[in-house]
Amino acid sequence: MTARWFRILRDRNGRLGLLFMGLVLLLALSGLILGADPNRIDIPQRLAAPSFAHWLGTDNLGRDLTARISAGTRSALTLALLIVAASAFLGAVIGTAAGLFGRWLDWVVTAIFDTLSAFPALILAFSLVALYGTGRQTFVILAILIFMPQFGRLARSRAQALRHQSFVEAERLLGVHPLVIVLRHILPNIAGPLIVLAGMNIPVVITFEAGLSFLGLGVQPPASSLGTLIKDGFIYMSESWWPTIGAAGTLAFATLGSTLLAETFRDILDPKSATDAEGRA
Amino acid sequence: MTAAVSISGVSIGFGPVTVIDDLSLDVPTGTTFGVVGESGSGKTTLLRAALGLQGVKRGEIRLMGELFGGSLAETRRRARVIQPIFQDPAAALSPRCRIGVLMDEVAKVLGEPRDSLRQRLDEILRRLGLPRAILDKYPHQISGGQARRAAIARALLMRPRILAADEPTAGLDVSVQGELLNLLQELRQTEDITLLIITHNLAVVRLIADRVAVMQSGRIVEQGEANAVFARPHHAYTRELLNSWPATS
Repeated sequence: MTARWFRILRDRNGRLGLLFMGLVLLLALSGLILGADPNRIDIPQRLAAPSFAHWLGTDNLGRDLTARISAGTRSALTLALLIVAASAFLGAVIGTAAGLFGRWLDWVVTAIFDTLSAFPALILAFSLVALYGTGRQTFVILAILIFMPQFGRLARSRAQALRHQSFVEAERLLGVHPLVIVLRHILPNIAGPLIVLAGMNIPVVITFEAGLSFLGLGVQPPASSLGTLIKDGFIYMSESWWPTIGAAGTLAFATLGSTLLAETFRDILDPKSATDAEGRA
Repeated sequence: MTAAVSISGVSIGFGPVTVIDDLSLDVPTGTTFGVVGESGSGKTTLLRAALGLQGVKRGEIRLMGELFGGSLAETRRRARVIQPIFQDPAAALSPRCRIGVLMDEVAKVLGEPRDSLRQRLDEILRRLGLPRAILDKYPHQISGGQARRAAIARALLMRPRILAADEPTAGLDVSVQGELLNLLQELRQTEDITLLIITHNLAVVRLIADRVAVMQSGRIVEQGEANAVFARPHHAYTRELLNSWPATS
């Protein structure tokens, strides 16, 4: 089992994904290690190019971009991981239940998923902000409502397909407990596609958060986020492209890294692909 | 003697379509019983109903004289009476579990100590000609023939009174078919099992069945001693089936 996880190092995409995510994590932690204040304004140093004092330069208020991008990356990664994990977990549980038990539960769950998916994200965002105000908590609830149906639908369709597979029926006929059937035989066969979807959704959540922050509905100033950094950088693009390039580059690395890792995890979790090298008996 | 499988006035339908129509059938205990018929005649639906995978509109199915409900306790009670051998046994083995894990599940269901089950399993594997190393393999890592034997081994671990095989020789070449049929016959005799075989392959039934029932459009059109039915078919459909199977003539 442990050896299986070392496949990530043997796979070119896995190595690239680890490298990219490693760099992003290093950047996220660098602010904490260096101890620079991301909100310290230093007008004489505004829009400075990278230097020994400011490794990635400064923004329009002279704030250190390394510290701000680091803080923004930490915030983005934390939010993205939290939202994707919660969406995947809730979607998997609700979707699998709907797919396996069917009937009225499937009808109700499908109706909820369809309603949430059909609802324009921005309208939903404005509605929630009007009700609960801006802030991280509102953003997390909003993002889970928006992203969870994707996971739920995938889990539901996979569970429906698996329900009538011979191996599931064989387990039922053996008298294996339904919970064991779900945990040992159904969820592992759903997990692969869910993990890939989760990996693909991490950068989407990061950009979604950036978009909402741009509209003033996400992370609020002076807290840093990759979205506000890109937006602010874009305004001063003609004077200095360092603020934009730093934040956008981090977003690109996070996007590529999480996607490549997700695809590698999918292959690792598939025993058919993982054990092909062992050969047939 | 109580019939191993007793089907009384069973009707099964999907919406407005009736697949099994007021069917009654007794499978005597200790025999090899073949149910033959062309595709779509309702054989597999009947088997699924006997296994509890398919509900019936009317009638009842008793196994060893007992009726079974749908609860987990009832399913476990039924599992000790009847076990299936699926048409594609490799697909009946969970793809993400090693064979050994699948075998150990039987111990949990039966509440039997794992060591005791492994001892029985060793004996069953030996009889089925399977190496013990197979327990460390995933289903996709073993051959189709081994998967079939592994599925049979798992079924036998439950010590069932009835083995129900759906098209047991489908997709096998002739020599492997013969080996499998011999194995099933041997198991029936040594393990005191009733063997219910659902197939469209008349040659299989002719080779091993004591009794045979011929199904057409959800009804039994003829049944009796296998030799008698094959030698002197009374129903036109049975004659048609026999004539369309050159290997049996």
